Amino acid sequence: MVPVGACLGLSAVLFGIGLIGFLSRRNIILMLVSVEIMLNAVNVSLAGFSHQLQDQRGQVLALFVIAVAAAEAAVGLGLVLALSRNRPGVNVEDLTQLKW
Amino acid sequence: MAILAGQIAFYYLATASVASAILAVTRRNPAHSMLWVLALFLHVAGIFLLLGAEFLAAVQVIVYAGAILVFYLFVLMLLDLPREAAGPSFGAHWPLCAAAGLAFAALVWHAREPGLVLTAKGTAAGGPPRGSLSAVGTALFTQFALPFELASLILLAAIVGAVVVAKRKTES
Repeated sequence: MVPVGACLGLSAVLFGIGLIGFLSRRNIILMLVSVEIMLNAVNVSLAGFSHQLQDQRGQVLALFVIAVAAAEAAVGLGLVLALSRNRPGVNVEDLTQLKW
Repeated sequence: MAILAGQIAFYYLATASVASAILAVTRRNPAHSMLWVLALFLHVAGIFLLLGAEFLAAVQVIVYAGAILVFYLFVLMLLDLPREAAGPSFGAHWPLCAAAGLAFAALVWHAREPGLVLTAKGTAAGGPPRGSLSAVGTALFTQFALPFELASLILLAAIVGAVVVAKRKTES
Protein backbone atom coordinates (compact mmCIF):
# COMPACT_ATOMS: atom_id res chain seq x y z
CA MET A 1 0.00 0.00 0.00
CA VAL A 2 2.53 2.56 1.15
CA PRO A 3 5.84 2.07 -0.67
CA VAL A 4 8.80 1.85 1.66
CA GLY A 5 10.63 4.38 -0.51
CA ALA A 6 8.10 7.04 0.45
CA CYS A 7 8.63 6.22 4.12
CA LEU A 8 12.38 6.50 3.71
CA GLY A 9 12.01 9.84 1.92
CA LEU A 10 9.80 11.19 4.68
CA SER A 11 12.27 9.88 7.24
CA ALA A 12 15.17 11.59 5.46
CA VAL A 13 13.34 14.92 5.29
CA LEU A 14 12.29 14.79 8.95
CA PHE A 15 15.80 13.84 10.03
CA GLY A 16 17.25 16.73 8.04
CA ILE A 17 14.81 19.17 9.63
CA GLY A 18 15.70 17.87 13.08
CA LEU A 19 19.40 18.16 12.26
CA ILE A 20 18.97 21.77 11.12
CA GLY A 21 17.07 22.54 14.30
CA PHE A 22 19.65 20.90 16.52
CA LEU A 23 22.56 22.70 14.93
CA SER A 24 21.06 26.13 14.53
CA ARG A 25 18.72 26.82 17.45
CA ARG A 26 20.13 28.68 20.43
CA ASN A 27 17.57 27.48 22.96
CA ILE A 28 18.85 24.28 24.58
CA ILE A 29 15.34 22.91 25.13
CA LEU A 30 14.54 23.27 21.45
CA MET A 31 17.81 21.52 20.64
CA LEU A 32 16.62 18.55 22.71
CA VAL A 33 13.24 18.66 20.97
CA SER A 34 15.06 18.56 17.63
CA VAL A 35 16.77 15.37 18.80
CA GLU A 36 13.30 13.95 19.46
CA ILE A 37 12.29 14.87 15.89
CA MET A 38 15.32 12.99 14.57
CA LEU A 39 14.50 9.91 16.67
CA ASN A 40 10.94 10.03 15.35
CA ALA A 41 12.28 10.11 11.80
CA VAL A 42 14.24 6.94 12.50
CA ASN A 43 11.07 5.33 13.88
CA VAL A 44 9.22 6.14 10.66
CA SER A 45 11.82 4.32 8.59
CA LEU A 46 11.80 1.34 10.99
CA ALA A 47 8.01 1.10 10.78
CA GLY A 48 8.19 1.36 6.99
CA PHE A 49 10.65 -1.52 6.76
CA SER A 50 8.57 -3.53 9.22
CA HIS A 51 5.51 -3.00 7.03
CA GLN A 52 7.39 -3.85 3.87
CA LEU A 53 8.99 -7.04 5.17
CA GLN A 54 5.93 -8.14 7.17
CA ASP A 55 8.29 -8.55 10.10
CA GLN A 56 7.31 -7.18 13.48
CA ARG A 57 10.87 -6.91 14.76
CA GLY A 58 11.14 -3.44 13.26
CA GLN A 59 8.33 -2.29 15.52
CA VAL A 60 10.12 -3.79 18.52
CA LEU A 61 13.24 -1.81 17.62
CA ALA A 62 11.13 1.32 17.32
CA LEU A 63 9.79 0.67 20.81
CA PHE A 64 13.35 0.51 22.12
CA VAL A 65 14.09 3.79 20.35
CA ILE A 66 11.11 5.35 22.15
CA ALA A 67 12.39 4.02 25.49
CA VAL A 68 15.83 5.50 24.85
CA ALA A 69 14.21 8.79 23.81
CA ALA A 70 12.35 8.90 27.12
CA ALA A 71 15.58 8.28 29.03
CA GLU A 72 17.35 10.96 26.98
CA ALA A 73 14.57 13.46 27.69
CA ALA A 74 14.74 12.78 31.44
CA VAL A 75 18.51 13.16 31.70
CA GLY A 76 18.70 16.06 29.25
CA LEU A 77 16.01 18.08 30.97
CA GLY A 78 17.55 17.30 34.36
CA LEU A 79 20.80 18.77 33.04
CA VAL A 80 18.91 21.81 31.72
CA LEU A 81 17.37 22.36 35.16
CA ALA A 82 20.72 22.04 36.91
CA LEU A 83 22.24 24.43 34.37
CA SER A 84 19.52 27.02 34.75
CA ARG A 85 19.89 26.88 38.52
CA ASN A 86 23.53 27.86 38.23
CA ARG A 87 22.92 30.54 35.65
CA PRO A 88 19.57 31.66 34.28
CA GLY A 89 18.73 31.39 30.62
CA VAL A 90 18.85 28.55 28.15
CA ASN A 91 20.95 30.17 25.44
CA VAL A 92 23.74 27.78 24.50
CA GLU A 93 25.90 30.61 23.16
CA ASP A 94 26.20 31.97 26.69
CA LEU A 95 27.62 28.70 27.95
CA THR A 96 31.25 29.20 27.08
CA GLN A 97 32.89 28.15 30.31
CA LEU A 98 33.58 24.64 31.53
CA LYS A 99 33.21 25.64 35.16
CA TRP A 100 31.80 28.61 37.03
CA MET B 1 -10.11 2.40 -3.85
CA ALA B 2 -8.82 1.51 -0.42
CA ILE B 3 -5.29 1.59 -1.76
CA LEU B 4 -5.86 5.04 -3.22
CA ALA B 5 -7.38 6.27 0.02
CA GLY B 6 -4.40 4.87 1.92
CA GLN B 7 -1.97 6.64 -0.37
CA ILE B 8 -3.85 9.93 -0.11
CA ALA B 9 -3.83 9.58 3.66
CA PHE B 10 -0.12 8.81 3.65
CA TYR B 11 0.76 11.81 1.53
CA TYR B 12 -1.44 14.09 3.63
CA LEU B 13 0.19 12.82 6.83
CA ALA B 14 3.67 13.09 5.34
CA THR B 15 3.10 16.67 4.14
CA ALA B 16 1.55 17.71 7.43
CA SER B 17 4.35 16.17 9.48
CA VAL B 18 7.07 17.82 7.39
CA ALA B 19 5.26 21.18 7.62
CA SER B 20 4.81 20.92 11.38
CA ALA B 21 8.45 19.86 11.81
CA ILE B 22 9.59 22.93 9.86
CA LEU B 23 7.31 25.16 11.91
CA ALA B 24 8.50 23.54 15.15
CA VAL B 25 12.12 24.23 14.29
CA THR B 26 11.60 27.79 13.10
CA ARG B 27 9.08 29.28 15.57
CA ARG B 28 10.46 31.95 17.85
CA ASN B 29 8.30 31.16 20.87
CA PRO B 30 9.36 27.81 22.43
CA ALA B 31 5.81 27.01 23.56
CA HIS B 32 4.57 27.35 19.97
CA SER B 33 7.39 25.05 18.88
CA MET B 34 6.26 22.47 21.42
CA LEU B 35 2.71 22.57 20.10
CA TRP B 36 3.95 22.08 16.53
CA VAL B 37 6.02 19.14 17.73
CA LEU B 38 2.81 17.76 19.23
CA ALA B 39 1.17 18.04 15.80
CA LEU B 40 4.19 16.30 14.29
CA PHE B 41 3.98 13.41 16.77
CA LEU B 42 0.26 12.90 16.18
CA HIS B 43 0.74 12.86 12.41
CA VAL B 44 3.59 10.38 12.74
CA ALA B 45 1.27 8.23 14.88
CA GLY B 46 -1.18 8.33 11.97
CA ILE B 47 1.59 7.14 9.65
CA PHE B 48 2.30 4.25 12.04
CA LEU B 49 -1.38 3.30 11.93
CA LEU B 50 -1.28 3.37 8.15
CA LEU B 51 1.76 1.10 8.21
CA GLY B 52 -0.06 -1.48 10.32
CA ALA B 53 1.83 -0.71 13.52
CA GLU B 54 -1.09 -0.10 15.86
CA PHE B 55 0.82 -0.68 19.07
CA LEU B 56 3.59 1.66 17.95
CA ALA B 57 0.99 4.32 17.18
CA ALA B 58 -0.53 3.94 20.64
CA VAL B 59 2.88 4.13 22.29
CA GLN B 60 3.73 7.16 20.17
CA VAL B 61 0.62 8.99 21.38
CA ILE B 62 0.88 7.88 25.02
CA VAL B 63 4.62 8.12 25.58
CA TYR B 64 5.79 10.73 23.09
CA ALA B 65 2.83 13.10 22.87
CA GLY B 66 1.53 12.34 26.33
CA ALA B 67 4.58 11.97 28.55
CA ILE B 68 7.74 13.27 26.91
CA LEU B 69 6.23 16.40 25.37
CA VAL B 70 4.38 17.30 28.57
CA PHE B 71 7.68 16.87 30.40
CA TYR B 72 9.34 19.30 28.01
CA LEU B 73 6.45 21.75 28.48
CA PHE B 74 6.76 21.45 32.28
CA VAL B 75 10.45 22.32 32.14
CA LEU B 76 9.71 25.17 29.74
CA MET B 77 7.12 26.60 32.13
CA LEU B 78 9.39 26.01 35.11
CA LEU B 79 12.25 27.95 33.58
CA ASP B 80 9.99 30.86 32.62
CA LEU B 81 11.90 32.51 29.83
CA PRO B 82 10.62 36.04 29.27
CA ARG B 83 13.69 37.28 27.45
CA GLU B 84 13.90 34.30 25.18
CA ALA B 85 11.30 35.49 22.68
CA ALA B 86 13.08 38.83 22.24
CA GLY B 87 16.50 37.76 21.04
CA PRO B 88 17.31 36.03 17.78
CA SER B 89 16.33 32.38 17.99
CA PHE B 90 18.99 31.13 15.59
CA GLY B 91 22.73 31.32 16.00
CA ALA B 92 24.75 33.39 13.55
CA HIS B 93 25.96 30.17 11.93
CA TRP B 94 22.51 29.04 10.84
CA PRO B 95 23.16 29.04 7.05
CA LEU B 96 25.94 26.53 7.63
CA CYS B 97 23.60 24.40 9.75
CA ALA B 98 20.87 24.57 7.13
CA ALA B 99 23.35 23.53 4.45
CA ALA B 100 24.49 20.58 6.57
CA GLY B 101 20.95 19.42 7.29
CA LEU B 102 19.80 19.81 3.69
CA ALA B 103 22.91 18.00 2.42
CA PHE B 104 22.23 15.11 4.78
CA ALA B 105 18.58 14.90 3.79
CA ALA B 106 19.52 15.04 0.09
CA LEU B 107 22.10 12.26 0.55
CA VAL B 108 19.62 9.95 2.27
CA TRP B 109 16.94 10.92 -0.26
CA HIS B 110 19.20 9.82 -3.11
CA ALA B 111 20.29 6.67 -1.32
CA ARG B 112 16.73 5.39 -1.12
CA GLU B 113 15.01 3.71 -4.06
CA PRO B 114 11.51 5.07 -4.63
CA GLY B 115 10.00 1.82 -5.84
CA LEU B 116 11.91 -0.36 -3.43
CA VAL B 117 10.10 -3.68 -3.13
CA LEU B 118 11.79 -6.28 -1.03
CA THR B 119 10.71 -9.87 -0.84
CA ALA B 120 8.05 -10.20 1.81
CA LYS B 121 8.75 -13.13 4.04
CA GLY B 122 6.03 -14.60 6.18
CA THR B 123 3.10 -13.51 4.06
CA ALA B 124 3.00 -16.72 2.07
CA ALA B 125 4.37 -18.92 4.83
CA GLY B 126 1.00 -20.44 5.57
CA GLY B 127 -1.02 -20.26 8.71
CA PRO B 128 -3.50 -17.57 9.59
CA PRO B 129 -2.15 -14.01 9.52
CA ARG B 130 -1.47 -12.84 13.03
CA GLY B 131 -2.44 -9.51 14.41
CA SER B 132 0.34 -7.01 14.62
CA LEU B 133 0.02 -6.56 18.36
CA SER B 134 0.30 -10.23 19.28
CA ALA B 135 3.28 -10.64 16.96
CA VAL B 136 4.98 -7.60 18.51
CA GLY B 137 4.31 -8.93 22.00
CA THR B 138 5.62 -12.37 21.14
CA ALA B 139 8.80 -10.94 19.63
CA LEU B 140 9.25 -8.57 22.56
CA PHE B 141 9.00 -11.26 25.21
CA THR B 142 10.83 -14.09 23.46
CA GLN B 143 13.48 -12.95 21.04
CA PHE B 144 13.97 -9.50 22.57
CA ALA B 145 13.53 -10.46 26.22
CA LEU B 146 17.08 -9.48 27.21
CA PRO B 147 17.01 -6.08 25.42
CA PHE B 148 13.60 -5.51 27.01
CA GLU B 149 15.04 -6.01 30.49
CA LEU B 150 18.03 -3.85 29.58
CA ALA B 151 15.63 -1.09 28.49
CA SER B 152 14.05 -1.17 31.95
CA LEU B 153 17.54 -0.87 33.45
CA ILE B 154 18.31 2.09 31.18
CA LEU B 155 15.07 3.79 32.22
CA LEU B 156 15.84 3.19 35.90
CA ALA B 157 19.33 4.63 35.48
CA ALA B 158 17.85 7.63 33.65
CA ILE B 159 15.32 8.26 36.42
CA VAL B 160 17.95 8.08 39.14
CA GLY B 161 20.38 10.15 37.08
CA ALA B 162 17.80 12.84 36.39
CA VAL B 163 16.93 13.09 40.09
CA VAL B 164 20.60 13.26 41.10
CA VAL B 165 21.47 15.86 38.47
CA ALA B 166 18.45 18.09 39.02
CA LYS B 167 18.40 17.87 42.81
CA ARG B 168 18.97 21.08 44.67
CA LYS B 169 22.11 20.93 46.78
CA THR B 170 21.03 21.10 50.42
CA GLU B 171 24.29 21.18 52.34
CA SER B 172 25.15 24.77 51.49
